[in-house]
Amino acid sequence: MPTLTADRVEAVLRRGGSARVDDHVAPRFREGQRVLARNIHPRGHTRIPRYVRGHHGVIHRDHGVFVFPDSHAGSGDPRPQHVYSVRFEAAELWGPDAGGRDAVYVDLWDDYLEAAP
Amino acid sequence: MNGPHDLGGLHGLGPVQPESNEPVFHAAWERRAFAITLAMGAHGQWNLDQSRHARENTDPLTYLSQSYYEIWLRGLETLMRERGMVNEAEIQTRMAELSGGES
Amino acid sequence: MSDHHHQHPPSDPTLRVKALESLLVEKGLVDPAALDVLIDTYENKVGPRNGARVVARAWADPDYRQRLLIDATAAIAELDYSGRQGEDMVVLENTPTVHNMVVCTLCSCYPWPVLGLPPVWYKSAPYRSRAVLEPRAVLTEFGVHLPVTVEVRVWDSTAELRYLVLPMRPAGTEGWSEEQLAALVTRDAMIGTGLPLNPAEVPS
Repeated sequence: MPTLTADRVEAVLRRGGSARVDDHVAPRFREGQRVLARNIHPRGHTRIPRYVRGHHGVIHRDHGVFVFPDSHAGSGDPRPQHVYSVRFEAAELWGPDAGGRDAVYVDLWDDYLEAAP
Repeated sequence: MNGPHDLGGLHGLGPVQPESNEPVFHAAWERRAFAITLAMGAHGQWNLDQSRHARENTDPLTYLSQSYYEIWLRGLETLMRERGMVNEAEIQTRMAELSGGES
Repeated sequence: MSDHHHQHPPSDPTLRVKALESLLVEKGLVDPAALDVLIDTYENKVGPRNGARVVARAWADPDYRQRLLIDATAAIAELDYSGRQGEDMVVLENTPTVHNMVVCTLCSCYPWPVLGLPPVWYKSAPYRSRAVLEPRAVLTEFGVHLPVTVEVRVWDSTAELRYLVLPMRPAGTEGWSEEQLAALVTRDAMIGTGLPLNPAEVPS
């Protein structure tokens, strides 16, 4: 793309760069479903933090379909899929002494999750 | 990657230290580093995910000792170098030229 | 000056950034006038006063509040705030039983159109490591003390959703204009590490 000029800056900033994809990809999970964040350790770029891997959570919300960062950063392949807000209880993440009724919500892509009983 | 940027839950990194009346940029170079990063991104030669990876893909000592815009600068240079847009030799040469009158 | 060439990272990147900018301009890759607009935009034009207006409108107008909670991106765009790092917004409502707090443990994701660029503490290792681990301790350090009956929800911005906290409207503000209400809304209240000012706290 051509060099950004001063007169184009405002339009470029306004347009932004949404990662949302208008693709009819089926979700693998539904709101309220219990899931397990996979114990994966990709060597390239990923957005599943270590502190949730191997832990159980509940799908709070389906945000819709977005570009998948792991493949997008690597080969440039967008591999669009659903992103969910997943609720993890504090005690699940940090042990029985942690957090009472507190929780951490993490946005996770389909590929990061498995169904859990 | 299991990189130094993945900080959630780590101990020992010290207290949160808010600064009162904090300026948006703490030095003139930070302004330029910010703007150059956005302007170069507008070429579409890399995507946001690649730019994040360029910042995080380093050793813990480097990552944790760098300020925010130092991390941005290193990431930008990596992205540009990978694509042959700029190289270390010409950066060094230009630095020497610019500081020539000051030493 | 030459000994700096062998140190990485440089302790003062001023010379290196100057050299880089100079090279990129020479190569036609960067337009200096565009750099100035980018800097001016985020240093002077875009900031938390934007988000404060969104919150104030939600406090004053129940219909707007509902629209904000259902489709935050569209509702925020009604005030002409939109674009980069705010393309997909979610508003988190504080209630008497739920307090929300936002972090990006992996980098520094933050809703630029409504809050501007993030403060250094938000982007730094202490907040990023502790917000998800011990939010109440972090809140206490910010002067926010919550009873155990309040559930603390920490939202880690790992994807491209950007989060804005909608604090509870302070008591004693009945009949206030949106402009007066906006003056109560602090940046930290919209991140979730603070609460709005009370009427008595407003600087005159």
